[in-house]
Amino acid sequence: MVNQSATRGEARSGRRALLLAVPVAIVSMAPLVWAGISSLRPGEEIFRYLSPFSWRTLFPESVSLDNYLSVLQSPFALALVNSVSVAFFGVALGLVVAALAGYALAVLPFPGRTAVFAFMVVCFLVPFEAIAIPLSASFREMGLANSYAGLILPALGNGLSIFLLRQFFMGIPSSLAEAGRLDGLSWFGVLRRIYLPLSRGPMIGAGLILFVFQWQSFLWPLLIAPAPDVRVAPVAIADFAQETGVDYGQMFAAAILTAAIPLLLLLFFQRHFTGSTASSGTKE
Amino acid sequence: MTSVTARTEREVTRGRTRRSLVRRETWISAVVLLLPAVVLLLLLRIIPTVTAMAEAVPLGGERSPWSNFAYIFSDPSFLNSVWVTLLFSVIVNPIQIALALALAVLLTKHIPAVGLWRTFILLPIAVPQAVSAIIWLVMLRPDGPLNGLASAIGLPTVPWLTEPGWALISIVIVCSWVGVGYWMTFLVTGIKEIPSSLYEASALDGANGWRQFWSITLPGLRRPLLFVLVADTVSNFLVFAPVRILTQGGPQGGTDLLMHNISERAYTLGDTQAASAATLVLVAIVIVVVTIQFRMLPGKED
Repeated sequence: MVNQSATRGEARSGRRALLLAVPVAIVSMAPLVWAGISSLRPGEEIFRYLSPFSWRTLFPESVSLDNYLSVLQSPFALALVNSVSVAFFGVALGLVVAALAGYALAVLPFPGRTAVFAFMVVCFLVPFEAIAIPLSASFREMGLANSYAGLILPALGNGLSIFLLRQFFMGIPSSLAEAGRLDGLSWFGVLRRIYLPLSRGPMIGAGLILFVFQWQSFLWPLLIAPAPDVRVAPVAIADFAQETGVDYGQMFAAAILTAAIPLLLLLFFQRHFTGSTASSGTKE
Repeated sequence: MTSVTARTEREVTRGRTRRSLVRRETWISAVVLLLPAVVLLLLLRIIPTVTAMAEAVPLGGERSPWSNFAYIFSDPSFLNSVWVTLLFSVIVNPIQIALALALAVLLTKHIPAVGLWRTFILLPIAVPQAVSAIIWLVMLRPDGPLNGLASAIGLPTVPWLTEPGWALISIVIVCSWVGVGYWMTFLVTGIKEIPSSLYEASALDGANGWRQFWSITLPGLRRPLLFVLVADTVSNFLVFAPVRILTQGGPQGGTDLLMHNISERAYTLGDTQAASAATLVLVAIVIVVVTIQFRMLPGKED
């Protein structure tokens, strides 16, 4: 009885909370939805129906993909390709670096392990943005300006992804590693045969951290690779907006394309975060 | 007798060499596995920090090693930038944390389709900041949709990006739109870890929602809240893309946050020494503020 009335009370307060949650969600989505709608109408139509507000503000007279077609035929397409390739190599190489380091820090018994881990935590505390400007000066001196290497390298020294994988690897029962060692596996073999197959979820998590870092970055590519042939999408969009006589329809199409890729990845990989496979290896 | 002792001794020695071989293999493996990460972190974090220090404090020249600091602290544009950054920080952090906390409490209630609303509020973080800033650049135009909506419901229009005070508020709005959902998710996880039996017991004692928030939710959230407080504060000291795209630090320096001021120094004015000195000031401010936050919040009692 008590239980039942409690759930009924909860349901009532849940409905009241819904009245607050829905407007907040709408406010949160509105700028993206408006950008999405604007990307489907001709540039000159975007500001026509704003004051006074009318139903035409939200519903275009005609819907067309022309903005997307012209953006994909413009130099912005190259910027999008640059962004995707830089992110791909950043994630792939960054994962290798992070998995090796996280595994060594979690599993290998060697003297100085705590010191190395402390060193990585200290590095993690120096915000990348704060040192981006002095770092970009040394990158320029090394001839890495306007190169893919210059764009990719900073993403590889990612303390957060190392930390995440170390935490997960520490949760895998060490009896598995010991058994592997007794069977004559090298330490690298233990990583490849035992740890990595158990670590799909955390590897995807670390990959997303690396991807978001790379896809979000704006200050660094602006400093190190502003040239049109290596420019990434966020820099290209900022350049776009600062042109005179910018076509806002096309600008919104470019914005939506740049935003859509991380959104799709987030939605696609979301289910991999739930549930851990760490404990499934042993019968304990 | 003797032969047996000799044999065990030999076995012991062999075991010892094998163990030391294994230890050596472990050591070499550790070095090989850690080398890439350590080299990269040295190259990308430690060396640039040291470079910045060396550049900001030039030793052995005719000038005093502290001349760069003397210069920036007598430069009105830098002092204005420090003031604007502190003002921004004092406004934006309480707003973002209060909103994130309120939303976390709201979105851990038994709401139908709660995951959907949470995802909608989280989505802006996935959009690159430069793209968010571009969208808001148009939203905040004098003839943009925000002013259109305001005049439609009879409110006065707002000089969002053209008046210094409103421009700073605009940056606050954009950063909060991006960040609140992100910080909320950490607090949602924190609230879910508070045992529901605590709430049930206090409900039997007749505590209302407000009492429960202060006596159960808030104390139970101490750890995630401290994390959000520190991480959010640090990230707000490093805001760059919205300033660069929305206001370029203007009007009249009203939004000239330190990251923007530093990048202007380094790349528009070409004064890397002053930029490095300013970077060190920024890092020092961040460290001081974060230390104060750690001291103020009741620490580790469990």
